[in-house]
Amino acid sequence: MQLLHYRSWQGTFHSSWWAVWPIARVALGTLLRRKLFWTLYSFGLLLFLMFFFGAFLLAWAESQMAVSGPQLGKMGDPGRMMRGIRSALRILNGSQDTFQYFFAYQGGIVVVMLALAGSILIGNDFTFKSLVFYLAKPIGRWHYILGKCLAVAIVVQLMTTLPALVLYGQRAFDDWEYFWHVNYFIDNDTGKGPAGIVLLFGILGYGTMLSVFLSILLVATASWMRRTMPLIMVWMSLFFFLRLLANILVDGLRYNVRWRLLDLWNDLTLLGQGCLGYASDDISPKLHPEFWEAGLVLIGVSVVCLIYLNFRTRGVEIVR
Amino acid sequence: MPNLLEFSDAGRRDRALTPTLETPAPSPPAPLPQGERGGTLAPILLFQHVSKWYGPVIGINQVTLELRPGITGLVGHNGSGKSTLLRLAAGQMKPDIGSVKISGCDAWTAEAKRHIGYCPELDTFYEEMSGRRFVQTMARLCGYPRAEALRRTEETLTLVGMNDRAERRLAGYSKGMRQRIKLAQALLHDPELLLLDEPLSGIDPIGRRESIELFRELARRGKCLLISSHELEELEKLTDHVAIMAAGRIAAVGTLTQIRDLLDDHPLSIRIASDQNRVLAALLLDLDDVVGVDRSDGYLLVRAKNPRRFFQRFGELVLDRMIEIQHLETLDESTHDVLGYLLGGKAR
Repeated sequence: MQLLHYRSWQGTFHSSWWAVWPIARVALGTLLRRKLFWTLYSFGLLLFLMFFFGAFLLAWAESQMAVSGPQLGKMGDPGRMMRGIRSALRILNGSQDTFQYFFAYQGGIVVVMLALAGSILIGNDFTFKSLVFYLAKPIGRWHYILGKCLAVAIVVQLMTTLPALVLYGQRAFDDWEYFWHVNYFIDNDTGKGPAGIVLLFGILGYGTMLSVFLSILLVATASWMRRTMPLIMVWMSLFFFLRLLANILVDGLRYNVRWRLLDLWNDLTLLGQGCLGYASDDISPKLHPEFWEAGLVLIGVSVVCLIYLNFRTRGVEIVR
Repeated sequence: MPNLLEFSDAGRRDRALTPTLETPAPSPPAPLPQGERGGTLAPILLFQHVSKWYGPVIGINQVTLELRPGITGLVGHNGSGKSTLLRLAAGQMKPDIGSVKISGCDAWTAEAKRHIGYCPELDTFYEEMSGRRFVQTMARLCGYPRAEALRRTEETLTLVGMNDRAERRLAGYSKGMRQRIKLAQALLHDPELLLLDEPLSGIDPIGRRESIELFRELARRGKCLLISSHELEELEKLTDHVAIMAAGRIAAVGTLTQIRDLLDDHPLSIRIASDQNRVLAALLLDLDDVVGVDRSDGYLLVRAKNPRRFFQRFGELVLDRMIEIQHLETLDESTHDVLGYLLGGKAR
């Protein structure tokens, strides 16, 4: 056999942190080959298109109102009618409401997608013990964890922040005042909350918060449950049954409002609304904990997940 | 629990491994001369009083071991601790007690892993990836820039004979092809220490021959190979130097002959044919080390303790009496036999 004649490596090895991207890329590649991913992604895309063209619908309605105002005047006050339409379509006007609803809807699809993809992205590494190959290379377990989290975060960003930024850009191109003027909606009496750069940072903050939390949670739960069905059940418990329980405790049994902190999805939404500049009184449900309390819960859950991951990846294989 | 053979030959021979040393050495073998392994070199792999528990179960118990360049076979029953030892050496786990060093670095550090090529036993990995993509990804994890990673990927794939099939998905690979891909990813970064868990399993005869040749060539180039295998016959073709594990401990380590010599409870069986079988049988029975002699089909079947001393006396005897030896064969000196004697029951 002709033995490999290695040319001695004269260059500098990349830092172990560079290994994060190949790990993420492998995970993403595995996911992108699945039809299920593209099916759910197209649902997300449909939702995005609804918001995208909804803005045009609103603009068209306004223009029609201006042209046909006299005729409509017979039916009632055109200004009042316009306010009614705007109120009905307020989630399409590019305000904080638009992005709040967009993140909420897209987030729902993302949660379903991640519950279904967790096994492929992470669980299989533990089931088939492929983790051994990674950890035999000059990287630490935190590089592996970060690589996997990055893959999940990219999926979340592709589903939420990226299309949200497109929606923001669409609105800004339509009216540059929207981009420059923070009080655009208040001054024009077309809605509440900030616009401009503050809203842009709010969108980025919401997306980042969502992707960081969901990625850590998914990597931890998928390394725990590994298989798709148990993972779906865990996520159902976290995002559906805990929500139900929190609602029963707070709204039904009138327990302290802090019991709503059990509802992780509500915590995410609450913190996201904080990013988008919502005033506490504008948040629904009215009985809700403080932003910082929701933030603390999410940080706490993330820390627990990271501690578990540290433990889980320490011993790669366990004698049964 | 069979009697564990424990002795220390560290510092006495070039290819020395130092096994667990808890009791005084009963009968240490004579020092061997320095050979091709270069005994003065620092050990590449060093276990120092290493223990590892899995909850209440002990995986490795007080193992001390030194490995220098050359091939060492790691044998033992299932559950004897072979895989745990390999994983500890590969830096996949930290020991609960003791230390594992690779070229002076703690085995679980990134620096140590640059010296290790690990080929695990499992053969299920990213089924939807192509073999080439998998090896390339592993090269990137080693820290090579893209161009260098690609170059090394191609070279190692060629080396293991997978270059023409590397574009296929791993899901379509046979067990032998998977073994080759695993070997390729272990060889990527030209490691000093190769840890191979059942590397010949599932490989066709031609592939085995090529792999064995490759392992020998790597050993000649100063690499240290620790090969765990149940394929004792194949392992014997590779090396006669083995570490035998039992119940989480190194039961014995050294060449098969050395280990066999220490097995006083199991006399060595030797088949001899000569021109004076009857005379030779009578003379052999007078030797202290001979336990018994049987005659059958023109052969003498001799059972002797302390083989080293027996063969010395035997040589003197046949020369003195001018007996012509037509056939001389040791019957139970194979890895299989030694392992069977040492661990009790069947070796496989």
